[in-house]
Amino acid sequence: MMLSVRGIEVYYGAIHALKSVSLEVEQGEIVSIIGANGAGKSTLLRTISGLLKPRTGEIEFRGKRIDGIAADEIVRLGISHSPEGRRIFTNMSVQENLQLGAFIRHDKEIDQDQEKVMERFPRLRERIKQNSGTLSGGEQQMLAIGRALMSRPSLLLLDEPSLGLAPNLVTEIFSIVLELNKEGTTILLVEQNAHRALEVAHRAYVLETGTMVLSDTGKALLANPKVKEAYLGG
Amino acid sequence: MAVDHLFAAGVNFGSLPAQVVNGILIGSLYALIALGYTMVYGVLRLINFAHGEVYMLGAYTALFVSWLIYGNQVAPVHTFWWALPTMLLASMTVSALVGVILERFAYRPLRNEPRIASLITAIGLSLLLQFGGQLFLPVAPPPNINAKVNPYSDSMTFYLKPPAKPLADKASSLEAEATATEKAYNEALSGVPSGEEPGPTVTALRNNYFEARNAYEEAKGAAANSGVSVTIPKGQLIMFVVTMFLMAILRHLVMFTKQGRAMRAVSHDFDSASLMGINVNSTVTFTFILGSALAGAGAMMSATFISGVKIDTFYGLLPGVKAFVAAVLGGIGNIPGAVLGGLLMGVAESLVIWVGWGDYKDAVAFLILIGVLMFRPGGLLGSAKVEKV
Amino acid sequence: MSFWIRRLASIALAVGGCFLIDWFAKENLKDFIVRLVVLAALYITLAVSLNLINGITGQFSIGHAAFYQVGAYAAGLATVTFYKSQPLGLALWIPLMMLVGGVTASVAGLVVGLPSLRLRGDYLAIVTLGFGEIIRIVTQNLKVVGAASGMAVEPKMSTPMIWLAWLLAITSIAVCRNLLQTAHGLGFLAVREDEIASSAMGVNVTRTKVAAFVLGSAFAGMAGGFLAHYEGFLIPTMFTMDVSFIILTMVVLGGSGSVTGSVIAAILLSTLPEFLRDIQQISMAGLVAAAISIIAGVVAVRYVSQHVHTPSTRRIAYPGAIIGSIILTVVLSKVLAFIPTLANASTDGSRIRLVIFAVTLVVLMLVRPQGLLGHREFGWGSLRRSEA
Repeated sequence: MMLSVRGIEVYYGAIHALKSVSLEVEQGEIVSIIGANGAGKSTLLRTISGLLKPRTGEIEFRGKRIDGIAADEIVRLGISHSPEGRRIFTNMSVQENLQLGAFIRHDKEIDQDQEKVMERFPRLRERIKQNSGTLSGGEQQMLAIGRALMSRPSLLLLDEPSLGLAPNLVTEIFSIVLELNKEGTTILLVEQNAHRALEVAHRAYVLETGTMVLSDTGKALLANPKVKEAYLGG
Repeated sequence: MAVDHLFAAGVNFGSLPAQVVNGILIGSLYALIALGYTMVYGVLRLINFAHGEVYMLGAYTALFVSWLIYGNQVAPVHTFWWALPTMLLASMTVSALVGVILERFAYRPLRNEPRIASLITAIGLSLLLQFGGQLFLPVAPPPNINAKVNPYSDSMTFYLKPPAKPLADKASSLEAEATATEKAYNEALSGVPSGEEPGPTVTALRNNYFEARNAYEEAKGAAANSGVSVTIPKGQLIMFVVTMFLMAILRHLVMFTKQGRAMRAVSHDFDSASLMGINVNSTVTFTFILGSALAGAGAMMSATFISGVKIDTFYGLLPGVKAFVAAVLGGIGNIPGAVLGGLLMGVAESLVIWVGWGDYKDAVAFLILIGVLMFRPGGLLGSAKVEKV
Repeated sequence: MSFWIRRLASIALAVGGCFLIDWFAKENLKDFIVRLVVLAALYITLAVSLNLINGITGQFSIGHAAFYQVGAYAAGLATVTFYKSQPLGLALWIPLMMLVGGVTASVAGLVVGLPSLRLRGDYLAIVTLGFGEIIRIVTQNLKVVGAASGMAVEPKMSTPMIWLAWLLAITSIAVCRNLLQTAHGLGFLAVREDEIASSAMGVNVTRTKVAAFVLGSAFAGMAGGFLAHYEGFLIPTMFTMDVSFIILTMVVLGGSGSVTGSVIAAILLSTLPEFLRDIQQISMAGLVAAAISIIAGVVAVRYVSQHVHTPSTRRIAYPGAIIGSIILTVVLSKVLAFIPTLANASTDGSRIRLVIFAVTLVVLMLVRPQGLLGHREFGWGSLRRSEA
């Protein structure tokens, strides 16, 4: 088991955001979490990556307890989180963003990896010296994913990578997700675009108002009538 | 020439270049302090009111170390090469330490509270160090450092336009006379047994000497006014050079090192920065170290090279306030802005003195501040965004 | 009908109360205490009026002494210039001059209130601070008002008009409290919570902010007008940044937005530290002991508030920390007295007066940022509710 979340409770002040949520991710999988706005999907990812602390419950990554560990330490363990809303450093150039992605690394292959990211996202190469605030939404999303890859994560957390993108860009992003997975990165994906998310996922979970209500393989959930009605538009 | 004509128009214009240069020298000091305000604001969105007190403690450290090295003696010039850098390093270290302590124990616990709480704490800490410091620190302890390193209070004069030849000649001949009469008077005076009133001859010699000296001073002034010169105290020149050097180091650190990049990332967004593996707490600490060490350096140099300001626990109040204005003027959070703001602040202050409103020079700082905030709230180089608490 | 009877009765009660305080103080109290009674009233006015700007409307202003100063100098100058012919008895003239001070200060409030339309939070704080300093530096150089050497205000009041000071204080309290019970008053609170939302609800944000500044500075100006005739002498050093910070501490201690909190804090902070002035020798050992104990108390309270979730334990945390700190101070000061350098050194009380304000600010922010009362009010209503 690569990642296992067991019965975590998370509060935002007085708001009970996650209620006894459990989840498992195996090495090499793509796992999707779908759910409505405000169901707690982003909260779950933020708790896994250490930005939030669960009040109770355990999170284990490769057999090591990581709940309560600071976010910057968790990155070093091999979890990389591309947050909701991209959150790129708009006060810096594209290149500086990528280099920050490799902040925890001290090896000589950083430039090589940057080259790889630019091969994957040719548009970033064109804009490498440009201030990242000037990028379009799709380019910013590519930068956010590229930046997350720069730490060479074994587990990649993607939060709403398709949000606000044109349909052809959404297709591009999901094909990149599949590609990354084939190359060996385990991916935990949070999406509102349930259809796409279930298509690419090996397994998926459904989160409703802070509680896990369903879990199954991606295909099974695509066929599940309840999921169809609630998330796939009938 | 047109410029000559302007300079000839009045005494005032002749002293303008000197005042501008003077303003730049003082402004570089403001810039150095302003960098601390701006960097802390950049990462925490906090006006660190206690920054002026970090500066004050730096000045005390310099004073204390100079006392350890020299006691109450006037410092011999040949020891300056190691003594002054030692003082500088000591001040930087102590100030950095104070900054780190303030951050760790006062600001960090409040990081998730509303920003107004940190601001009030900063005001409280500033008052605490000013008034609490009075209980433990000596006020205006003699001797001042700048009296010990007095060779550096010499100044160098550069002529942009030499004084008129006849006036200069007259001055030099009068100088010779003044020296001669002084010598005669001193000789006569040493002949008088101690405890006795000097006789009429000695008094006459003294009057001679005073007359000659007054005439010389007057001629010297006239000669100087006929030319255009810039006079720079050696110490302040050293201060300027060191300041520029420190700023260059800072720029390199912030723009081209990993720590600097982390600092910029943290100033943009805490969460995203920590998702990159950046330790936000240690980066904030690093920022306080840099900003406070610069304030310490500035304090050591101003305590050493600028005379006439006594060291007490309010030593950092006015420089702190002006540096803060400089930071806002340049666009708070913006590092080149702080330097530009500091230099402009210094020049503006000199110009106010130059036009004869010296009494109001401290008010001018605030007028500039209010003007900038009203019409360009983001400062000269900053973005125009207004902060919301 | 009963509304008006009640209102008139309470006004009569307030005025009567003021004269009662006046009579009692003059009959029974020493001059030193009488002075404290007057100062307490002035500081109540200042704190309540700053609270209107800071706590209730949420415009962070830290230059309140400027309005106090403008009021004092305007009133003082008016008396010096116009009272030569003695047009009125002093008992009428001084309240009139307080109005002059109030009006002048409210004009200044209008000028400072205008930046508040564009600036928020710390930027506005700095502008108000800067404005205060400009006022101080200008008076320091203005010959008409005696520049740095000060100005004598002749005639000053022959005996302290305690009733007048308290009438001013009670008026400021009444205005603020009654304001909060009107629709306009709720607009002030709305602006503090969310400007955009309140303007969407039809609150005129611009007018509300400026009104807060004008009203707040008017009361400060009246307090200044009183001070001018009470002291009989004005000098710029009476109105330094420290005074602004003292008033700010009172508002923060009482709880931003709580009128009664400001009143209680103003009484505490304007009187308690004054008693220190008389203490000639405070031992360094005691001071160091107090400093260590305060730090220990802060650490303890913070630990409890972060790690203990049981309400019963939390309830005893504050009293426990305070009592513990006091005990620790006493014990430590005895222990530290064995260290000769600390035992022999001492300082006089006047020097630690401002240290107390500074410590109050910092400690308060670390353990209870919302102040003593938070946004709540202390009144008969809340007492009744707690009984139920």
